[in-house]
Formats: sequence, C-alpha cells, structure tokens
Amino acid sequence: MNVANPLTAQGAWVWVAAILTLAIFSFLYRENPLYRIAEHLYVGLANGYFITFYWHRVLMPTLFTPVAHNPSVVTKVWLICIAIIGAFYFTRFIPKISWLVRIPIAIVLGYSCGASIPRAVDAELIQQLRATILTRGHFAHWDTALWAIILLLGVIATISYFFFSAERKGVLKPVSYVGIIFIMVGFGASFGYTVMARISLFIGRLQFLLGDWLGIIK
Amino acid sequence: MTAQDGASRHNFWQKLQAIDRRWLYLVVWLVVMLPLIFPFRIRPKATPPVERLFQFIDTMPRDKALVLSIDYGPDTQAELQPMLVAFLRHAFAAGHRVGILACELTGLGLGENALRQVTAEFNVHAATRQDSVINGEDYAFWGWTTPYITIMLGMGERISKVFPVDYYGQKTESLPIMAHLKNYDDVGILVSIASSAIPQSWINLAQTQFGVRLGCGITAVSAADYYPYLNSGQFTGMLAGMKGAAEYEDLLLNRLKENGMDWGQRYRGTEAMSSQTAAHLAIMAFIIIGNIAFFASKRRKS
Amino acid sequence: MRRTIPLLLVLLTGLFAALAAFVPHPAVQNVDEVMRNDVIRILAAFGLVLGIGSILQHHFLKIRRHAQYWQYSYITVIMLFVSAIIGVFGGIDPNRPGILPTHIGSFSFHMQTLYTNVMVPLGATMFAMLAFFMASAAYRAFRARTVEATLLLVAAFILMLGSVPLGRMIHPQLPSFAEWILTVPNTAAKRGILFGIQLGIFATSLKIILGIERGWLGGGGGK
Repeated sequence: MNVANPLTAQGAWVWVAAILTLAIFSFLYRENPLYRIAEHLYVGLANGYFITFYWHRVLMPTLFTPVAHNPSVVTKVWLICIAIIGAFYFTRFIPKISWLVRIPIAIVLGYSCGASIPRAVDAELIQQLRATILTRGHFAHWDTALWAIILLLGVIATISYFFFSAERKGVLKPVSYVGIIFIMVGFGASFGYTVMARISLFIGRLQFLLGDWLGIIK
Repeated sequence: MTAQDGASRHNFWQKLQAIDRRWLYLVVWLVVMLPLIFPFRIRPKATPPVERLFQFIDTMPRDKALVLSIDYGPDTQAELQPMLVAFLRHAFAAGHRVGILACELTGLGLGENALRQVTAEFNVHAATRQDSVINGEDYAFWGWTTPYITIMLGMGERISKVFPVDYYGQKTESLPIMAHLKNYDDVGILVSIASSAIPQSWINLAQTQFGVRLGCGITAVSAADYYPYLNSGQFTGMLAGMKGAAEYEDLLLNRLKENGMDWGQRYRGTEAMSSQTAAHLAIMAFIIIGNIAFFASKRRKS
Repeated sequence: MRRTIPLLLVLLTGLFAALAAFVPHPAVQNVDEVMRNDVIRILAAFGLVLGIGSILQHHFLKIRRHAQYWQYSYITVIMLFVSAIIGVFGGIDPNRPGILPTHIGSFSFHMQTLYTNVMVPLGATMFAMLAFFMASAAYRAFRARTVEATLLLVAAFILMLGSVPLGRMIHPQLPSFAEWILTVPNTAAKRGILFGIQLGIFATSLKIILGIERGWLGGGGGK
C-alpha cells in the first residue's frame, strides 16, 4: 500500500480529492452535512470556473482587447454596441425593463434555429433516409440484403407505432405491434449499455481511490 | 406443508423484495472493488466500429491532421478520458499532427491533464527531436470558445479566427503547426469525444457543410442512439463507453509494441474490464432475483 | 413593441442564418462570419449573467428567508466569488500566472489545481452514484410483467454479456450477436424515433423563427 503523502503539495490535494469523493459517497448511507458541504462547494466552484473562462477566453480576446487596442473606430463602436445588447441580459433582474432581455435571446435563438434547420434537414433526414432505402449494393450478399430489409421494415414499423392520428385497426395494428418489438429491443440495448456506463463511472472513482490515493492498485 | 410454512415462505419473498437498498449498494461496491484489487486480466476483442476508426487513424496520410474535440466534462471522465489518452498516444506514435479543442468548457482541464500526461510519456523516452512531442509544432491545444456553432462553422474557414489565442494564451496564427492546419481541408478526421448530443451537431454543421470526416467516442448511455449515424456512414467509427476505450487500447497496445513504444503505460479502460464483467453479472443477478421474488410472492398471494 | 422587436429580430436573424447556408457569395458569408465570431459569441458570453445571477439570487433568498439548509448557501456564494477571483486574476495557465499569485511555496491553489482536485472528483463522484441507484432500480423495478418487457430484458442481458469479454467465453458468437442487435433492430428503432424527433425539431424551430411559438418571450417580464 503506497498512500499519497499528505505532507507534499500534490499529496495534500490528492487527500482533498479523496475526502471530497468519500463525502459525496456518504450520501449512499444517508443524507449528512459532509455531503451537503461537498455539494455546495461543487456548485460554487463550477460557477467560478465558468466565469474564469468566459472572461479569459471570450470577453477579453473578443471584446475588451479589440476595443482597447484596435485602431479602427468603427470596430470599437460596433463591439460596444454588441456589448450593450449583451448587457440587456442584466435587465432580467430589473422588473421595470426586464423585457429588454428578449432582445439578445432573440438574436441568439433566431440565428441558432436558422443555421441548424437547412443543415439538419440534410444530415438527419435525407442522409438517414438514404441509408434506410434498399439499393443494389445491399444485395451483393444474402446477409447484407436480409439485414437491410429488416432495417427498412423496422424503421417503417417504428414510425407507424408513433402514428396516433388514426385508430389502430386493420394493417396498422400488426405493423405498430412489430414497431413495439423493435422499440423494446432498441431500449433493451440502451439499457444494457446504460448499466455498463453507470458502472464505468463508479469504476473510475474506485481507480482513483485505490490507485492514486491508497496506492493499492498499480 | 402447513399454512405456517406457506406464510413464512411468503414473508421470505416479501422480505427479499423489501431488502434495505444499502445492502445492495454494499454488494455493488464489493463486486466492483475486489476485481480491481485482485484483477483477472481479460483482453477485449475490438468490434468493427472501433476497428474502423483505429485503422483510419493508423493509415491516415501524414499531411492530414487528427482533430480531437473534448465534448465532455468531469461527470463522464471515467469513460471518456481513457479514449482521449488513447487517441493522443496513437496520434503521437503515428507521427500525426494533432489539434485539440473543447466544445464543453468543463472538459478543458481534462484535456490539459491528458496532454500533460501523454506528452510527458513520449518526451521522457524521446532520444531525438523526432521522437519528442512539442506544443505548437506537433500539436496545438486551441482551447474553448462559445457557442459551439461558432466553432463548427468557423473552423471550415479558418481555425485561427475561431481560436485567436490557444489554451496557453499564445497567438494561434504564430504556432508553426498552423501553417499546415488552416481549416477542415487539412483535417483527416475529427473525433468528437462526447457525453451529450454534440456529435450530432458536428454532423449537422461541420460535415454537412464542409464534408469533414467524423468519428466519435461516446458514453455507453448514448451509444445505442448513435448507431443510425454509424450505419449511414456519417461516422467512420465509434467507441462506446469504457468497453470501447478498452478495445481501442488493445489495438493501440499491439501497435505500440510493434513500434517499440510499449513503456508500461497505464490503460485505464482495460484495467476496468474485470470489474465491469463482475458488475454486469451482479446486475443481472439482481434483476433475476428481483423477478423471482416478485413472481413468487405474487403466486403465494393468489 | 416589447414583443414586436424581439419577434422581428428572431425572424431576421433566423432567415439570414438559413440563407447563409445556401449562398456562398462573399458578401453574405462575411456578414455571417461577423455574426458568428462577434455578435453570437459576445452575446453567448453575456448569457452567463443569467445563470450566475439566478444562482446568486436563489442562494441570497435562501439565506434571507432562513430556508432549509440555508447555512450551506454561504459555502456556494463564498466559493463562487473566491474561485472567480482566483481564476480571473490568477490566470488560466499555471505557467503564465496573472496578477494574483496562486501558490504558497510549492502549494498551488491555481484554478487548474482546484479544477483537477476539487471539481473533477466532485462531479465524477456525483455521477458515479448513479451506479448504485441503477442497481437498486434493477432489483426493485425491472419486472418482466409483459412479453414486451421480457423482450427488453432479454435484449439487455445479451448486450450486457456481449459487451464484456466473459460473453466470448460463454459462446464465441455472443459478442457478434450483441453487435447485430445494435446494428440492425436497435438501429431501425432509433432511426424511426430519430425521424420523429427531428421533424418535431424542424417544426418547432420554424415556429420560433416565424413567431408562432412565443414561449421563449416569457423570459422577460412585462408585456
């Protein structure tokens, strides 16, 4: 066992990390003040981290430095105007003029929606449709042909399951039931992988506790 | 069998269903911890999506760069950090230029930690400049900016306009590597290592407009949802969770051994496989026992 | 005016952004670049104000009202200001320190150190707890009550076994079968769901741009 040395700078921080880890895990036994302290520490530090990087990596190089050093007056005025619009976010906390917060939200929201629609139509609909339809290439081998047919039928059946505008009778009933089968298999696959994911996160923490802190695993 | 026996069996099944969950937590803790202390080494076999990604990076032309996008944070670092480390080791061993950025702010520090770890591994064993890994020449850590739409669309025109300074505060344009890494045209593949839907955004924005080849490393939670993109060819390859990381590490280890670069590095994904196996068996046992208890007590009631 | 101006802005920026995807002319592309690199970037940075302001407002209110666990709110607020000061004045890169010294001897309290030794363990551990909650849910809640639920569990079992090396020991084809489940039926189901979700997103995005969907206006007070 090769426990991290708490008397060195690095070792001391490893101990801090280990104690905080155990503080969070203590919640598994029951709610306690140590867990609460760790939880609130995290929220505070995460916000401080965000402020740090927004300041150094966005506001400074994009706004303050150009306004201070760029020789062009037009650029300075332009950036100051954008900053004023950005400052409208502060009006959220002033009830009388809080409607101004809608302006920067509108610009960001509108641009994001507009930029994503045409590109997502291609990527999420057209490309996916192209991958679903049967082509001559699929029939080069019996297995690729069979899986491609199953895939096509599965997609149609799944979509039909979510079609709630018509009553489930006639051909729609068995087709939507086949859709449920595919959906259940899909969710089963997701669940199986979710188990793996959650366990992995815990393994990572134990690797730290047993390796970096206690030195039990090499 | 007396009525008393029947009643006590019914109570047993009920008690089994109502067991304090902290006993379950203890079982999970032991099942995961013990194989880490007493590991049984099992090497995973790479699945086709992992192999495809590995082969592509391995055989990428030398004039093309590998770009890694850190799109995850500390919450999923156990699954995804081994992937980042593996990609960096692979790229540096193969002599590829590497660009690293982050769309997720909280992942920035993890990127810095991974770079520090891997560059130290290579530079400690470097005999010549050729073997060394130098910031600004062999790799560039561009850092982070917001929002990601700015990154994904802007990199198609000029990367140094999106990141005017790198993570360390150096002017991006002044880095020697940037002479060969102007935009997506110089990128062989961009791998998004993500815990959210950002890989989808890479497809929608970067690939649709600029045709950049994409790969992804994602948490196992999202893995099943990304198979449609793998099937359509929008992702060249995919690593799913810690298992995917372990598979990539296995392929990488073989490559590093061939190159004489197996210096006893830690492979956290592979180390975790014994615990993963034991934990999966435990969860399956929980489900089976829970169902047996449920149906048995239901039958007793009726 | 309080609704008209924002609705007009969302329409203009939305239409312009969509247009920029199709028009390669430098005039349009240059304006698009300025929009992305200057306008959207700076506005997104100021958007942090909403988040930080809300957190501070929430905790100050808790302290004032002496709500449950109000004492812990001091920790959040103090840690927020202390870490922000360390980060803003101490710099990002330990090798290029800012005006605030971030170490005492060899003991560092630089932002990167705080991140690696406080933020990462806390964030990672919070999510690691999900493993236990999932195990508890697996024991108590996952019941094979119907044929469909049984199918879900069987698929999950195959995936769980196939995704660990043990699966290969049970049967050499088990991992391949698990991969087939992911590649064929799972892909079919997820693709069908994806079509539905994406069509919904398109419809909502269009409704936002055209001003039909106005729920986002509720973010500011007044009419």
